Amino acid sequence: MSTLMIARRPALAALLAAPALVRPAAAQSGPIRIGVPTAMTGTWAALGAQVVRTCRLWAKTVNADGGLLGRPVEFLFEDTQGVPANCLRKAQEMVERDRVNILLGLMASSEALAVMPKLAEWNALFISSVNGAGSITAEHWVPNAFRSNISGPMGARALALWLRNAPQESFFSLSLDYAWGRSSVETFEGLLRGIGKRSIGSVFAPVGTRDYSSFITRVRQANPQALYIALTGDDGTAFLRQAAQFRLFERMPVVTETVDMLFTRPAGDAAIGLVGGSRYSFAFDHPANNDFVQRFRAEHNELPDTYDGEQWQACQVLAEAVRKAGRTETEAVVAALRDLEMTSVKGPLKMRACDGQAEQQGFVVRVARREGIPHPAPEVIATYSAAEVTPSCRASSFS
Amino acid sequence: MDPLALLTLQALNALSLSALLFFISLGLTLIFGIMRVVNFAHGALFMLGAYVGVTAHNASGSFLLSLVAAPLAAGLLGLAFERTALSRLYAREHSAFLLVTFGLALALTEAIRLLWGADARQAELPDALSGIVFVMDEPFPVYRLLLIGAGVLCGLGCWAGLQRTRLGLLLRAASQNPVMTAALGNDVGRVRAFVFALACALAALGGALAAPLLSASLGLGSNVIIDAFVIVMIGGMGSFLGTAAGSLLVGFAQTFGNYYLPELALGMTYVVMIAVLVLRPGGLFGRPE
Repeated sequence: MSTLMIARRPALAALLAAPALVRPAAAQSGPIRIGVPTAMTGTWAALGAQVVRTCRLWAKTVNADGGLLGRPVEFLFEDTQGVPANCLRKAQEMVERDRVNILLGLMASSEALAVMPKLAEWNALFISSVNGAGSITAEHWVPNAFRSNISGPMGARALALWLRNAPQESFFSLSLDYAWGRSSVETFEGLLRGIGKRSIGSVFAPVGTRDYSSFITRVRQANPQALYIALTGDDGTAFLRQAAQFRLFERMPVVTETVDMLFTRPAGDAAIGLVGGSRYSFAFDHPANNDFVQRFRAEHNELPDTYDGEQWQACQVLAEAVRKAGRTETEAVVAALRDLEMTSVKGPLKMRACDGQAEQQGFVVRVARREGIPHPAPEVIATYSAAEVTPSCRASSFS
Repeated sequence: MDPLALLTLQALNALSLSALLFFISLGLTLIFGIMRVVNFAHGALFMLGAYVGVTAHNASGSFLLSLVAAPLAAGLLGLAFERTALSRLYAREHSAFLLVTFGLALALTEAIRLLWGADARQAELPDALSGIVFVMDEPFPVYRLLLIGAGVLCGLGCWAGLQRTRLGLLLRAASQNPVMTAALGNDVGRVRAFVFALACALAALGGALAAPLLSASLGLGSNVIIDAFVIVMIGGMGSFLGTAAGSLLVGFAQTFGNYYLPELALGMTYVVMIAVLVLRPGGLFGRPE
């Protein structure tokens, strides 16, 4: 233990502190180190790549501006492959070996849920930028965890509010046959019941389906007024292309949980008309966002996607809290995060103290051809206030 | 949609899928017929065809050109690979051949990742092919009809080539008895190189034709190779007619399986394979060994 630390704290407290909780003095000088254990390979590699590149861009931007509290920001990245056990191990290594007390950018909700129970023991804090599971800010919430991103239930809520006013009454669902696809359809069907509309059936396609013609025939046979899809990656792209070739979109609008350019861009013109919730889009018209988009394009020569924007927002939230606290110790930053109000790329935002969820606006977007962009891209068609889309404290559903 | 329209539509869907499957399994059959070995790299060549096709299409603006560029590129690659690597292995056991072609599949996939990146690539169909026709009042894409036509043409062309030309005679001879064929003064090595290159070209043509439906992505290769293996086994390893019949069976089983039993769709292909192999252990047109 260093002398500096003793000088800063009452000697008695220092003597009583258990050795495992002792932090070195280096924490108050030198670079601010932030740990990002995220999925750099595996199923979520493309999303992890967004998290990593945006953290780098943010560090570059902040450091060019003289750093945070006059100290440079430094990110430590580790690959978890999206596996909770890996994530827990890498996060622990960062905390114990690299003296990191701030964790960002965890990929799968299951990873976040594995790490959260350890935060108190590690005396570390975590701000989610990606994790959608409702329970993170409900039954599994811990005081050192925060979520600056739009959660799964919040995204679904925005879509429900939009559909309530849509003329379509009967819906059919097509989704991938695995956990996420099935839960997405279940949530959607519940949400339809909530707004007094009907689900007239659903079909689940095996992951890796190439030819969607049978499923398209099945949808046409069911003849709903609108189609809900929960498809991602190559499967989603193949479906959109083939459905457009069968002119399915001329018969019925297609809606989806989250419109992500990662999935709509490879579909080309076939994605035009797709409507869905959006956690973040370059299309959100807000001065802070326009500034970010410009910065991002200058760096990467492309538009920021969902998790670029969400990660940027999480970094901004952290920076605001650190500035407010004037220091980087866990207790101080956590205290500053509670009820922190600020403006970010998505507009006004409040990190509510009761469960760490950021209250923020909800968005519904539609994919369209847009001037100056070489591929079809989302445009905002509806915005809902934070009060309309945020569930009540420590709840993951709306009553 | 009345039941007859539904059945017609599904039959057309099945035929277009069968056509795509036919392109890749035909090459696999040719290689097996002549060399008695399975080419594991065939899926990767199909994927290469999709990437080359999309790139050629975007660069030249001509879809037709992509159907020439893809098989040409894969054919040349196949030729070079056969001459430099495979030709040294024929005297050895089959396992060496399996390992080397499996290695080619891995290397090719990584090379594609390095060259084209991890994102899927796509090209838009020309207007003439992106239209629809009405089949019993239901819209059906012109492009899928074109796929069916291409499959039929390719099948007839290959059949005529094998049965009606001197080269076809040589191929059949080399397949039945390579030693005797060589003893009669024919260069069996060149026949093998030609067949391997042709098979690679066919797979790539299939890939280029599939690209407008699927877009070129990295999972494409491993995805189709299993269906192709199943088709070759159903047909009776190395049988041309068997491959055509196997492609149709698998295409229909998958299309109708996806409609009536989507939860079991993944298993339909194998149900068909097991049923065929139980009834005819050597495959539909093969001899029991």
